[in-house]
Amino acid sequence: MSPEKKVVVKKHAYQVNDELADKIRESMKSKNKLFFNMMGSIGAGKTLILEQLAAKLSSKYRVFVINGDVATTIDSDRIAKQGATTVQINTGGGCHLSAKLIQNELDKINIDDYDIFIAENVGNLICPAAWDIGAQLNITVVSITEGEYVVKKHPIIFKNAAIAIINKCDLDGLGFNSDVLAEDASKLKSGMKVILTSAKTGQGIDELIKALGIEP
Amino acid sequence: MHEYSVASAIVDQVKAIVEEHKAIQVKKIIVSASPYEMIIPELLIEAYGIIIHELDKFKNSTLEIQISKAEISCLECDYKGEPDEKGDPEFAYNFICPKCGSRDTHINMKNLTIESVDLVIPDN
Repeated sequence: MSPEKKVVVKKHAYQVNDELADKIRESMKSKNKLFFNMMGSIGAGKTLILEQLAAKLSSKYRVFVINGDVATTIDSDRIAKQGATTVQINTGGGCHLSAKLIQNELDKINIDDYDIFIAENVGNLICPAAWDIGAQLNITVVSITEGEYVVKKHPIIFKNAAIAIINKCDLDGLGFNSDVLAEDASKLKSGMKVILTSAKTGQGIDELIKALGIEP
Repeated sequence: MHEYSVASAIVDQVKAIVEEHKAIQVKKIIVSASPYEMIIPELLIEAYGIIIHELDKFKNSTLEIQISKAEISCLECDYKGEPDEKGDPEFAYNFICPKCGSRDTHINMKNLTIESVDLVIPDN
């Protein structure tokens, strides 16, 4: 009978991902690149916000958007029409991006060809919160149509973000209310930058650009 | 459900350990997780079973999850330690600092640690 051996490991399960995420972050920082991670539910308005950002920024900056979705290239096609370079990652059944998925796409381009990188991280308020993709700043997007308890029900993804976007504010007062979401996001994390937007009308997009530290 | 990704991350790390020790079989992996880890233990074990199904060296191995202590750090004062069991009455997964009363605390939810691996090694 072959002998058995117990190996003491004491390593974090996320260690490989997190080390690669740190490497991506450091590499972007050393090259003076900006890299943002946009998280939020399906239908929160992430893609339309990214279309707005691409339209406003692409005349001055070279923007590279990595869209994560289960299937299709609908989102990357939409954003590309606004002047950004885009790539679509189809995750199949995967519910989040990872540092490895980001690195795979960065390996296919010359990072120096771009100034700003943004990842659209699939579409839910749970799984993306656990996986560091190497971004310098996390943004969580919710829309007021998701209900008044959406921040309370998903506190972790807000804790992990520096900016909370409350979107679809053009519907404020029409049976929906942005106040409670903005208040919850502010109370949950001190220093949280809460921005009220309507990606449809363009409300709040300039404020978002400022909050991201981008010279318009 | 990101338990599948987590189970894959565990298996990938253990594969390297198997290689390093030239093991012929994995018997058991023990991981520790805090009560506020972003996983459902039953789903993690289920995902592990699916992943190892076609991995000869992992066949019949088990994944055991031990619950470890939760730890918070306060962003207002220097407190670092176990959270108050009552938590924050307003927000789940948030805790009031037992030392200074601040709500501005951080709980480590990525503490899932591979503690040990039981291997069968060649007889030589």
